[in-house]
Amino acid sequence: MSELSYPDDLRYTSDHEWVRGDGDTVRVGITAFAQDALGDVVYVSLPAVGDALAVGDACGEVESTKSVSDIFAPVAGEVTAVNDALDATPELVNSDPYGDGWMFEVRPDDAAVLDDLMDAAAYQASLSS
Amino acid sequence: MTNSTQGRRSPLHDRHVALGAKMADFGGWDMPIEYPGGGVVAEHTAVRERVGIFDVSHLGKATVSGPGAADFVNRCLTNDLRRIQPGSAQYTVCCNETGGAVDDLIAYLRSDDEVFLIPNAANTAQVVDLLTAAAPAGVTITNQHDEFAVIAVQGPRSDELLQALDLPTGHDYMSFVEADWRGQRLTVCRTGYTGERGYELVGPWAGATAVWDALVEAMEPMGGLPCGLGARDTLRTEMGYALHGQDLSPEISPVQARVGWAVGWKKDAFWGRDALLAERGNPPRISHGLLVSGRGIPRPHCAVSRDGVPVGEVTSGTFSPTLRQGIALALLAPEVSVGDTVSIDVRGRAVEATVVKPPFIEVKPS
Repeated sequence: MSELSYPDDLRYTSDHEWVRGDGDTVRVGITAFAQDALGDVVYVSLPAVGDALAVGDACGEVESTKSVSDIFAPVAGEVTAVNDALDATPELVNSDPYGDGWMFEVRPDDAAVLDDLMDAAAYQASLSS
Repeated sequence: MTNSTQGRRSPLHDRHVALGAKMADFGGWDMPIEYPGGGVVAEHTAVRERVGIFDVSHLGKATVSGPGAADFVNRCLTNDLRRIQPGSAQYTVCCNETGGAVDDLIAYLRSDDEVFLIPNAANTAQVVDLLTAAAPAGVTITNQHDEFAVIAVQGPRSDELLQALDLPTGHDYMSFVEADWRGQRLTVCRTGYTGERGYELVGPWAGATAVWDALVEAMEPMGGLPCGLGARDTLRTEMGYALHGQDLSPEISPVQARVGWAVGWKKDAFWGRDALLAERGNPPRISHGLLVSGRGIPRPHCAVSRDGVPVGEVTSGTFSPTLRQGIALALLAPEVSVGDTVSIDVRGRAVEATVVKPPFIEVKPS
């Protein structure tokens, strides 16, 4: 079984999403744990560029052969980009959850909010508790 | 995510755990849903294009034996055992008196005096109890749930795989033959739940690991995969096969579920006969296939409407790995016809679908 990894340069939420700070925007996806639990991802619905999100907003869906999960906004802000490649190749969420399987980018209203999210060690600890 | 459950265990449980399978409760049994390195889509594709093996030892097993055992079974279950000869098996339904389906099962006719049954895991005890209560003197029903393992071998390379183990192949669809294999007696039946050419091997509980290990080794160069119950569900849904508890149930009769072909209408007696005869021809709802036009995956209990009017609900729904579209089986009002456009309420979103006649995929000659 492939080991699930949790890169140190990301921040994590209790909804099993990751956030990567990148200049004045942040990139969002779901964690290796989340994609493994879902199984084969077959559809991804994403917010639209320009959408204004509040923290915790259900702003999309990830659907696998077995089940469907909401995508929640991990930070408040405006959506600046979405990963259109997931329309045709949703399986990227399984094969490369932290890379080509990213979901959308947000310009946070307050860049300091990332500090409130879990680091890799805290997230991994949350998985085993 | 491995869910550990307290369910009953198949004789192959340790093999599944060693492979890292995701396990989940299925009818009270702790069974593999999918395997790492596979996943539902890859396992599904292996069966459609090559070969896959499934542990379905959770399925029930029971033997009805004694003088006139076959006639007795024929007076209880819906299908007509006189349509087949000893050495063949038949899909049949165990109904209650109101025509609801207590279970659907496979009946293996061994002789006039012996019928072997494979009911669903969760319904085995009830089927055995019902038959026992009705059995005439001299006919006995033995629950053998833990005596036999069942391994399904499914896919276009199934014959090649069984030949690699020196097991018999090539017999007619729904027929079975006995084989002695490395000291154990296996029943090799041309049956399955995937729509592909394939076999189900019924053998002693204690011998299952030897059969499984030999199959795993022999199928590797064929691109075969161990497959979980997740792929079994997408495969059977593409064929439109009913799953008891979803598409067929004590509340959903064989007529409504469109398995009337498994009812021996000319028989004098079987459980639920009067109710089914009364319902035949004008059922209040009928099972149809739904093919989603756009994105979205219907799930059981999603509401279905036509022109804004509720017409029924989804009983099974999934993503078809072959079509890469959402597909569903749904119980719909009798006024709905094949070709109609309907709307499925998927989590508050209206998903358009066309009413179709399953199977959803092209059927291969068996």
